[in-house]
Amino acid sequence: MEQVLLDFSQTTGIYTFMNSAWGWPVVESLHFMGLCLLLGTVGVFDLRMLGLGSGIAYRELHRLVPFGVAGYVLNVITGTMFLSTAPDQYLYNPAVQTKLLLMLIAGANMLLFYRTTAAAVKASSPKAMLGPRARSMAAISLLCWCGVIICGRLITWFRPPYHWCFWC
Amino acid sequence: MAFVVGINIAISLRLLGVGEQQALPAFRKFLPLHWMACGLILASGIALLLAYPAKALTNPVFYLKLAALSMGLLITGWLHRCWLQDRVLTRPRLLATVALLCWCLTIGAGRFLAYTHSVLLASRYF
Repeated sequence: MEQVLLDFSQTTGIYTFMNSAWGWPVVESLHFMGLCLLLGTVGVFDLRMLGLGSGIAYRELHRLVPFGVAGYVLNVITGTMFLSTAPDQYLYNPAVQTKLLLMLIAGANMLLFYRTTAAAVKASSPKAMLGPRARSMAAISLLCWCGVIICGRLITWFRPPYHWCFWC
Repeated sequence: MAFVVGINIAISLRLLGVGEQQALPAFRKFLPLHWMACGLILASGIALLLAYPAKALTNPVFYLKLAALSMGLLITGWLHRCWLQDRVLTRPRLLATVALLCWCLTIGAGRFLAYTHSVLLASRYF
């Protein structure tokens, strides 16, 4: 796995770019802008569903969500660049593993939301308080994304010697 | 950080014309959270600065970040005032573009801070 990622990074030239003077900080900046886009749109929509900002129409606020998706895509790309350039720093890092788990939960929560509740939420009146299902989904989403950010920051504090973490 | 910049990006995008224009002042309901988050970044920022004061203060990138951050927050503060007083914004698009640039610059400068310092501890001079 480690070697596959490293090979990918080296053959595509990502490795050379990331190890140049500007590479890592530039990609990191993009990664942070991506997370701001995500939390600024999806996170704000979650807060709206939890009852904050009553009077703002759900449907209108939801128009910002595609920007959050763009931020997410940006972060998957930049995240892959980090991961493939220094796989040994990420694969065995418990912060990364927790982060991926939280992303998985957030993703499943999102799929469930768009399959079951999204249409009803968008049709709700701007003053309406949403039902417990929509609100709990919003809370899960918000908690997961905040957790993802916290784990992301924690990654740099764990410099695991190889195969270090307790559940590997 | 994500709440401060995120809410600002959301506001800027709305100012740039995404979504219905009329509901925009209702956005100020998110601003208390924004200012709370600002308090948090201020506190954690001061803590980080106190931990390695020489590292940040000797780096020009730090002042770039500070300038962009202040400019961004000034714009938000001004928007907040306008909304509270029901004043109409004269050049919303320009304002939103400048704000977005400020936030990108703040984040970019912040990230570069971790890589561009020339001095880590002032003790090297003693």
